[in-house]
Amino acid sequence: MPQTAIIKQKKERSINNAFASHYAKSMFLTVSALILLSFIGTRMFTHIDLNLYGYMVGTIVFIGGFFYRFIAWGERPPTKIFIKKGLKLLFRPTTAKTSVDHLAIYNFIWNRGIYRWTQHILIGWGCILSCFVTFPLVFGWMYFTMEENGYYTVVALGMNILHVKADGVLAFFFYNALNFTAVMVIIGVCMALYRRLKNMQARAEQKFMYDFLPLYLLLLVAITGLLLTFMNIFLHGQGQPIMSLIHQYAVIVTLIYLPFGKLAHIPFRPLSVFVKNYREHYAKRSMKECKVCSESFVSTEQSNDVREVLGTNDIHFDMEDGFNLAELCLPCRRKYRISRFSGIATHEIKVKETNQNAKG
Amino acid sequence: MKKRLYLELENCIGCRSCLAACTQCGGHEERNRNYVYDVNPLVNRQTMPLMCLHCVNPACARSCPAQAIQIHETGAVLSALVEKCIGCQNCTIACPYGIPKFDTEQNLMYKCDLCIDRTKDGIPPMCASVCPTNTLQWLTDEEIENKKQHNLDNGKWVTSMPYLEGETNVKISLPGILQGVTKLF
Repeated sequence: MPQTAIIKQKKERSINNAFASHYAKSMFLTVSALILLSFIGTRMFTHIDLNLYGYMVGTIVFIGGFFYRFIAWGERPPTKIFIKKGLKLLFRPTTAKTSVDHLAIYNFIWNRGIYRWTQHILIGWGCILSCFVTFPLVFGWMYFTMEENGYYTVVALGMNILHVKADGVLAFFFYNALNFTAVMVIIGVCMALYRRLKNMQARAEQKFMYDFLPLYLLLLVAITGLLLTFMNIFLHGQGQPIMSLIHQYAVIVTLIYLPFGKLAHIPFRPLSVFVKNYREHYAKRSMKECKVCSESFVSTEQSNDVREVLGTNDIHFDMEDGFNLAELCLPCRRKYRISRFSGIATHEIKVKETNQNAKG
Repeated sequence: MKKRLYLELENCIGCRSCLAACTQCGGHEERNRNYVYDVNPLVNRQTMPLMCLHCVNPACARSCPAQAIQIHETGAVLSALVEKCIGCQNCTIACPYGIPKFDTEQNLMYKCDLCIDRTKDGIPPMCASVCPTNTLQWLTDEEIENKKQHNLDNGKWVTSMPYLEGETNVKISLPGILQGVTKLF
């Protein structure tokens, strides 16, 4: 009894108990961090760009939805296991290479086709670079000041880090960064739309709301953004105030929609790095051998994890013959299934499966 | 009228038309997702097809950390969504029948989706539409009920009447050839 009392007391003192839920805690910490960073970045709130305050509110609503989705997703038994074990294995030497492969250059999409890779890199990097520009501007982590000497000062997190000539090359790229990324996104989205209209494989399965809507949203954001520049340069700013509201509206709707539709694969994709680490690490540690043919086919750890996950769903594959289906390698599992239908022990006949792949 | 895939396993003559037809389905990118096995390869020529049985409570989808395996309103357990699949291969280990295939290069699982672009409109899946021996059929529940049932509850032969490990949307039966019943087509 005294021991349980001590544990109880310790638990009550944990900071987690100050919050109603995981969700509340994550939200509190994130908003606090945003406010703190903005406080530092804007030199104690003296350099806030109030033009962008709509985006600020939109981002906070987005974070609310994002955490809701992410935490609900992370609570699923299989996801939880990968996140937990993936975090422990985060500092493996191969993490950097895998991350670049999966998250920066999309090697696996290259293998699905060069056209798809090109469209994905244009859309993906167009969006990522745009975020790198806009989020710091919205929260005041980065801003520009100009004295009357023809030089801009780039201020990042409250520190002067760079002086650039106002009509220099570098400044040109600063002003037009979002125009370049908008062009990238527009080209990428058009390629994606063209593929969805022409490719029979894609046409078989696509749905308007799931596959097309996100593309149209990105297109709307990119085009209205480019129109702002167009109106400034060619129309002397005519219509610009209205267009900036339309653009703002498009961006905020896309942001809030992001965690709930097809675009949710962006925040979820890093889990593939965790998974690669997990598979490599545990495969080295010990492999599971097939009960019938003794060939190793998966790490013992993953085999146990999958069985545990299925157990939480009340799915058990214990056979009358005294083994669990998870103990068989995949060809043996298929043959065992045939043997259950026919009554002949196909899986124990030492003949390899052949002629299973038709050439399309 | 809702139809389902119905298999009379021993009708199979091993022609592998179902494999070839599978490659031609929209969305399958010219790779087949089903199998045909020799039942007793060193003794006789009996073959049987094996495809995804579309479990009502699919282990593959339950074990997927990315929610990449979706269940269609028709009950079909779909192939992995290409943007969501993170390549963990949990599904291949979870599946009691060893059905999902994995492409290491593309980091992507693919499996039978019951030709969802066809079956959602009531058109039979590719495999059933080409099977020359009626091993694979596309039937209503009523038609399946009317098939002559065999007393298979002898611990030796198992079919999905009533259930395999769990309830499946694809129904499997044996017309009785292995049991010595003469079959008249």
